[in-house]
Amino acid sequence: MGTSWVQLSETLTGRAKEKRIPLMGQFELTSRCNLQCKMCYVNNSASDIQAISRERSAKEWIQLAEDAGRAGMLYLLLTGGEVFLRQDFREIYGEISLMGFNTHIYTNGTLITPEIASWLGQRPPSQIEISLYGMSPDTYGKVSGFTWGYERALRGIDLLRSQGINLKLRMTLVQGNIHDSERFAEFAQERGLEFGYVKYISPRREGCNTYPEAERLSPELLAEFEMNLDKHFGFEEPKQFEHFALGKALDASPFDEWNVESCDPFYCTAGKCSFWSTWDGKLTPCSLLDSPAAFPFENGFLKAWSALQALCSSIPVCGKCSECPLLQECWTCPARLKNETGFFDKPAPYLCELAQRIHGNLKAAQKL
Amino acid sequence: MKIKEGFMLREIADSWVVVPVGKRVVEFNGLISLSESGALLWQKLENGAAEEDLLKSMLHEYEIEEDAALADIRDFIRTLDEKGLFE
Ligand code: SF4
Ligand code: SF4
Repeated sequence: MGTSWVQLSETLTGRAKEKRIPLMGQFELTSRCNLQCKMCYVNNSASDIQAISRERSAKEWIQLAEDAGRAGMLYLLLTGGEVFLRQDFREIYGEISLMGFNTHIYTNGTLITPEIASWLGQRPPSQIEISLYGMSPDTYGKVSGFTWGYERALRGIDLLRSQGINLKLRMTLVQGNIHDSERFAEFAQERGLEFGYVKYISPRREGCNTYPEAERLSPELLAEFEMNLDKHFGFEEPKQFEHFALGKALDASPFDEWNVESCDPFYCTAGKCSFWSTWDGKLTPCSLLDSPAAFPFENGFLKAWSALQALCSSIPVCGKCSECPLLQECWTCPARLKNETGFFDKPAPYLCELAQRIHGNLKAAQKL
Repeated sequence: MKIKEGFMLREIADSWVVVPVGKRVVEFNGLISLSESGALLWQKLENGAAEEDLLKSMLHEYEIEEDAALADIRDFIRTLDEKGLFE
């Protein structure tokens, strides 16, 4: 019993990756959200009838959790859209919370009522991560479309805190809220909460009314931000939140483990020991991708999981990236390349410029 | 001795892991990793077992000296006790 949690997660992840055990599952319960952030990669409106009709039922999600659990899923993320928009969230989570997973929930926190908070307090997930889009009604409104969201999110945070639920705050960095980064860090510290930020914004994954490219930071600004985290957050460096799949092993450069010769484009856990299940029922390697996809609700989880392995193995490695002198500083990965360029193996101008800027900044600071 | 309700022992990727479920996460938010013999003892303790039952199972399952087995069992029980895992 001497192993620490981190050590245990690392051991399990390493072994699961090797043996292709689906250790980490991510269930995107809905694509709908009560906010309308323009940088979101999947966002339908809260009352979108068509989207509602294509969502999978509570029963189906519960069954999926059961099947994935039997196949070895230990870590489970419930996310959206906004999960608390689902009328049957309690039915889903109530069952899942008894199945023996280490469960996380992502939410914007604005739909948390005293009743929901106390219900969650009686069966808390391991952690709830709340996204904050600004530190004033004005900024929050500019980024998410609704100024009232600010007070509601703060209320949600305090309600969940009062239940003793383990919370983490995250900020998605965009042009409209970058000036609030220090205030955000102060707020997290005042509340005694861990915090992190999402630094890479992907072009949208599927057709919806967002245009992330117009909202995200320019490569120049982002590279500068990365260089000066202490200045922008005022004090300690926050954790970076790439996403759940990578979050468990982000300390080292991801490329340390990447074997280019193996013809495997994924250096992360995607499709090896982690999977994403989209709101309409596709099994994909990660949140950014809606293809390659397998179909667990039609064919069963195990079949879909092995189909996904086969599909992932046919994804090409980007030859230019694998030989690129900037690889160590670059944020390239198959999903990002695909969303940026439409191809898995085509360098993305945004990422190339970012890598050049990061490299230049590090060189100027003589860290290289 | 009996382990509290609300813990699930799972075998994942050749490891034994105990996960708190439902309400239990309030007081224990984390995972416990067990060795194979730890998992054996845990399974016995889930249903309630005395030291001699545990010893019997250990001796039955493993080629181990009685003294060493007993020391391991006491160690294991102490750790569980310190973590407040017994009823
Ligand atoms: S995206 Fe551009 S900078 Fe990054 S590794 Fe590929 S070619 Fe190099
Ligand atoms: S493919 Fe890219 S975006 Fe997807 S999990 Fe891996 S690193 Fe992350």
